[in-house]
Amino acid sequence: MNTRDRLAHRLALLEGVGLSPAEIDSVVSEIEDFERIVIELEEFSQDTAWISLQAQPTGKKA
Amino acid sequence: MDGEDICELNLTDLAKLLAARELSSAEAVGAALTRLERLEGGLNAFITVLREQALARAKKADEEIARGNYRGPLHGVPVTIKDMFETAGVRTTGGSKILADWIPQTDSALVERLHAAGAIIIGKTNLDEFGHGGSSTLSHFGPVHNPWNIDRIAGGSSGGSAAAVATGIGPLSYGTETGSSVRRPASYCGITGFKPTFGIISRHGSFRGAWSQDHVGLFGRWVKDITLGLDPVAGFDGRDPGSVRQEQPTYAAHLDANVKGLRVGVLRRFLEEVNPEVKQAFDASVKVLAGAGCEIIDIDVAELKYAAMTSMMTSSAESAGVNRRWFRARHQDFVPHVSRGLAAGMTITASEYLTVQRARQRIREALARTYEKIDIIAAPTTGRVAPLLSDGLKGNGDDTRHASYNHSNLLRFPSMLGLPGCSVPCGINIEGMPIGMQLIGNWFADQTVLNAAFAYQSTTDWHFRRPALAGR
Repeated sequence: MNTRDRLAHRLALLEGVGLSPAEIDSVVSEIEDFERIVIELEEFSQDTAWISLQAQPTGKKA
Repeated sequence: MDGEDICELNLTDLAKLLAARELSSAEAVGAALTRLERLEGGLNAFITVLREQALARAKKADEEIARGNYRGPLHGVPVTIKDMFETAGVRTTGGSKILADWIPQTDSALVERLHAAGAIIIGKTNLDEFGHGGSSTLSHFGPVHNPWNIDRIAGGSSGGSAAAVATGIGPLSYGTETGSSVRRPASYCGITGFKPTFGIISRHGSFRGAWSQDHVGLFGRWVKDITLGLDPVAGFDGRDPGSVRQEQPTYAAHLDANVKGLRVGVLRRFLEEVNPEVKQAFDASVKVLAGAGCEIIDIDVAELKYAAMTSMMTSSAESAGVNRRWFRARHQDFVPHVSRGLAAGMTITASEYLTVQRARQRIREALARTYEKIDIIAAPTTGRVAPLLSDGLKGNGDDTRHASYNHSNLLRFPSMLGLPGCSVPCGINIEGMPIGMQLIGNWFADQTVLNAAFAYQSTTDWHFRRPALAGR
């Protein structure tokens, strides 16, 4: 997926929200930052366990 | 004692006078309201003032105390709360146009507990919209001004609360913190701000910024007041999924300035870009802690380079989830900067959010290992003093977009990880603006943090300094 398609795919998540062209430009800039950050954090956390949090019934023991 | 003198009393002294009936709650509340009305034009610290309700409650408190039914150190004391907390019958806006006229039917957990303790809420303070910001300029109700210089920001998002305490409009205020929203405004406004371990104070009935990072915190002039204000509001509450079971809070009774042997870690590599005046004040403060018997240990936690960006991404995704329905229906009614942030947050995918949480776990593990070698971390609360309003949102100097040794990481990691943190005044710069130092403890080492702050304030007088605006 090229950059333009990828951004379009993300902006589709905002479908129905009447953003102005200026607002869309600003959001796109944020999205590009976010994508870069996630790549960095993915690399940073590679050897870390995935967190698993499961709610247990309160006051009960196995 | 006239009204101006009453406003100069800290909570510790005010409570003693109220308990001994040497001063009435009606006098204390009346004095705080008078000062509020005198200064509000310059500060814009309040969204709603509860004059009639507060005076009626004060009269009732006086009657109870006269009958011997004294409830404790908050009984009859004028306090303020950030307008994030729901109040039955009183509008609760979150600083937003969306809820500008919303009147809840029930009280938040914090307000329930304040009422039970006999505190008198005199007003609801201004903030960044729903807590999304670090400046208190992103409010539908206009910016909060810093009491030390009204051309400067108060810091956010709990800026109204910090400005109120700094000017003696009640000795105590309650706010919330998702990134740095208690510690930063406390530092900028020259007062003490404390955010406990995640889950210590119930968030039930307060708006969510980002649920896994949101905390309730409080502001006072010094840490002794903080402990008196913390005891009545801490405790388990099953209505808050993050609430933790805990013993009856006794922070005030256990406040102890003896910190001999306390191991204090300093993250020197994160201080390289800090303003020289701030760094100088911090270095002097570390010497004070050393003089109190603390062992100062230089540490490096490289994983913290990723803290600010991890916190920002978590906050963006969670706040987009929280505000999804309002955003879709009324995005144009949000403050524009907040609206853009929510829009971007809504595009974060589930797998991306989980990747961010994995990074958060790595940082958490690194801090857990660090706290095996030290008891608290000391750092400047902020890397600079309160910037000018005209500097805009970049004035805070935050960098949440890059992995680096930028100070922003030290500001953001305590809330992201749920660690207890206290900001204490530790200097005044050449422009007359306050500087703060933060002390960050291990999970549930709240008492250790408070004691270290108490030790510091027992040998320094920065917390006695007042902005000229608060004078007669």
